[in-house]
Amino acid sequence: MNTMIKVARYHLVMPGMFLGLPWATLAGVFAANVARGGDHFRGGLAVFFGMFFITGVQRVGGWLPFGLALGATRRSFYAGTALLGVSMSLVSGLVIAGLQAIERATGGWGLSITFFRVPYLLNGPWYATWLTSFVGLSALFVYGMWYGIVNRRWGMLGLLAFIAVQALVALAVAFAYTRSSGGPLLLRPADGHPASLSALELTGVIAALTVVFLVGGQAAIRRVTV
Amino acid sequence: MTPAISATGLTREYYDQVALDDVNLAIGARTITGLLGRNGAGKTTLLRILAGQEFPSSGSVQVFGSAPAENQDVLRRLVLVREDQAYPDFQGYPNFKVSHALRAASFCYPRWDAGLASSLLGDFGLRAGKAVKSLSRGQRSSLGITIGLAARAEVTLFDEPYAGLDAVARQIFYDRLLAEYADFPRTVLLSTHLIDEAAGLFENVVVIDRGRVVLDTTADGLRGTVTTVSGPVLAVNSFTEGRPVWERRGLGSQASVVMVGQVSGEDRERARSLGLDLTPLSLQQLVVRASAGPAGAGSLTGRTNA
Repeated sequence: MNTMIKVARYHLVMPGMFLGLPWATLAGVFAANVARGGDHFRGGLAVFFGMFFITGVQRVGGWLPFGLALGATRRSFYAGTALLGVSMSLVSGLVIAGLQAIERATGGWGLSITFFRVPYLLNGPWYATWLTSFVGLSALFVYGMWYGIVNRRWGMLGLLAFIAVQALVALAVAFAYTRSSGGPLLLRPADGHPASLSALELTGVIAALTVVFLVGGQAAIRRVTV
Repeated sequence: MTPAISATGLTREYYDQVALDDVNLAIGARTITGLLGRNGAGKTTLLRILAGQEFPSSGSVQVFGSAPAENQDVLRRLVLVREDQAYPDFQGYPNFKVSHALRAASFCYPRWDAGLASSLLGDFGLRAGKAVKSLSRGQRSSLGITIGLAARAEVTLFDEPYAGLDAVARQIFYDRLLAEYADFPRTVLLSTHLIDEAAGLFENVVVIDRGRVVLDTTADGLRGTVTTVSGPVLAVNSFTEGRPVWERRGLGSQASVVMVGQVSGEDRERARSLGLDLTPLSLQQLVVRASAGPAGAGSLTGRTNA
C-alpha cells in the first residue's frame, strides 16, 4: 500500500497535468457550447470522458520508465496508477453530478443548455449520475492504461492486433446475443423488448468490463521491460 | 558472506542475438566495481536485469539474496542511473522539470538527501526549473548522477552515467562519488568506457565481452600483473624467457614484449642492468586485451572467468 501511495504521489508531482487538464478541456468545450447556444445535447461531456482514456494511456506510456527507475515494481506502479485514476473518477463523478444539479436548477445555466444531462445515461437522480460517471470514467482510465501497456510491450503492431481482437470479440458477443435472445441488444429501455438495459444496468455492465480491463492490464504489464 | 549482487548462469537472448551468455559473478557489499567492456558487450542488459527492468532468459540474479524483479524490498534499496533514461514527456503542455524528477525521487528513496541533491545541482550548474526535455546530453547525465548519489541507495548502479559531461563535471562526479562512498558506504557498480580515468575508483573489475565475463578480479590484483618490456632484442628475450607472453613485437634491433606476471624488485634491478624499460599496462589496455579474446585474460588471475 505504501508503494502504491508513492506511485500516486509520483503521478501528482505535476498535479495540473493529472487533475487540471481534463477539467480545463471540459471548460473549453462547455464555453463553446454556451457560445453556440441551443438546448439540444451535443455530446460535449464525452470529451471529458475521452480525456480519462487519454490520461490512462499517457500514465503508462510516459510515466512507467521513470517510475520503474525510481524503484517501483510493475505491480505497484499499475496498482498505484489505477488507484489514482479511480479516485479521480470518484471525485469527478461527484462534481459532474453537482454540475448537473446546477444545470437543472438554473434551467440550463439560464440559457436552456443541455450539457451535463446526457439522455438515457446521465439523466437520473444525482447519485445515479455520480455512480454512472464514476464507473464510466474509471473504465475509460483503466482501458487507456491497458492500451498504453500493450503499446509499450508490443509496439504499434501489437496495438493494432489488440484492437482487431477486441473488435472480433465484440462482434462475436453481439452475434451470439442476437442469436440466443431472438433480437438485437438494446441499450435504451423498450417496452416488451426482452434485451433492453436501463442506465443503471448498463452501469453494472461497464463495472464488470472495468474489472476485465483491470485484470487484462495487470496481466499485460507483468513482463513489460523498459 | 552473502554477496550484495550475484548472477548464476545468467543468459539473455533477443531473437537472433545473445546479450548475456552464462554470466556468473559475485560482487561484495560496500565495494566499487567497474563494469567494463565494448559497446554491445551486454553491460546495460546486465544492469537492467539487476534493477528488475529486464528479465533473464535463463539463469538467475540475486540482490541481497533475493531476485530483484518485482521485489519491492530489493528495489527500494537499489537505484539504476541509465545513460538513456526516459523521463515523462508531453507535447505542448507544462514540462516535466528537473525539480519534478528530484521530488519524485525524494519520496521513493528512504535515505534521500535533498541537501546533497541541491548541492550537486549547484556543482553541475543545473537549474531545478529547467525542463528535462530541453536538457543537453551532459545535463541529463548530471540529473542522473544527482539522483543516483542523493538516493543513497544501498546498491547504486551507474550505466555510463557521464555521457556528454566535460572533464570538470566528470571530476566532480568522481570526487562526490568517493566522498559519498566514504560517508555512506554502499555497493556501487559503475559501467564506463573512460576506463583509465575512473580506474582509481575501482576495488574490483568485471569485464564483459560478447555477453560473457572475460575478467573478474580485484583491481589491486590486476595492477602490475602485465608489463611491457622493451629494449634490445637479446636482452628482452633473456628477460622474458620462461614467462607467459601475450604479444611480441620487433623493430630492427629493438623488441617490445607484453609479459604476464608480477615484476619483483629483483626483476627491476635486472631489467635496469640489461637496459630494459618496464611499463605496466594500464587498466584500459588490459581491458582491450581481455576483450580481444580469452588468450590474454585467461592467464591473468585465478578469478578469471573466461
